[in-house]
Amino acid sequence: MIKSQMELLVSLQDLDLMIEEAYEVEKFGFPTTGCDELKKAREELASRISKPFLFRYKRLREKLKRAIVPVKNDICLGCFLKQPTSVGTRAREDDQIFTCENCGRILYWLE
Amino acid sequence: MKKVNLVAHFNEQLFKTDLKATDKQGILEELVNLIVENKFIRNSEIVLEMVRQREKLGSTGIGKGVAIPHGRTTATSEVIIAFGRTDTPVDFDAIDKKPVNLFFMVIAPPNDSENTYLPILGTLVTTLSHAETRKKLTHVQSYQEFLGIFTEKIYD
Ligand SMILES: [Zn+2]
Repeated sequence: MIKSQMELLVSLQDLDLMIEEAYEVEKFGFPTTGCDELKKAREELASRISKPFLFRYKRLREKLKRAIVPVKNDICLGCFLKQPTSVGTRAREDDQIFTCENCGRILYWLE
Repeated sequence: MKKVNLVAHFNEQLFKTDLKATDKQGILEELVNLIVENKFIRNSEIVLEMVRQREKLGSTGIGKGVAIPHGRTTATSEVIIAFGRTDTPVDFDAIDKKPVNLFFMVIAPPNDSENTYLPILGTLVTTLSHAETRKKLTHVQSYQEFLGIFTEKIYD
């Protein structure tokens, strides 16, 4: 079960990308008849996320296709800028939003 | 559509010919666990949530005993393919209603720079549409043999 707000936000983006790409995978022969059900699940998930988190995510999504990006070896995989190690340490401990100073995307530490 | 060399994306640690699960949810969990236990991804909950929700869009059981559960997640930085097989085919709510014994789980990052994810899915679907390939995969024993199936022919 997903608990943290940050993880819920990551899941929300996963669902948003899935809905956006449904048409692409349909071309390969995957049925997409459950699109409405998936959108319902997306709303249900969104309702579990705090308003400020959701607001920031929405704002970023209006500007950028990917609002949240993975961070690997302290590198933002949205713009490849190295993040201060101290930010990574805090991000792993606090259930807070940390953004890349360069591209503004929300960061999700992979390790 | 661009063809992809699938072999470059397979990994011996993610090759399992003796899946134990007996239902759809169990299969998804077992494949995600395989990926997490081998440290390709850290957070199993996020990936499991994603592949479970994906099945709401429509079953990834595309018929003839094959399922390709897939999706993008921010919990990975690279495309991961896991292969699993069960001895006894499992009900996967497939489009032809037939049980499934061959599973390819494809997990991709939100944005893959080389844009290989969709071509990988397409190439898998095309390759697995050949009866001969499915038959070989049903009997394959070793990882080397498995790679051979995907190297011997470049399908149109
Ligand atoms: Zn950045």
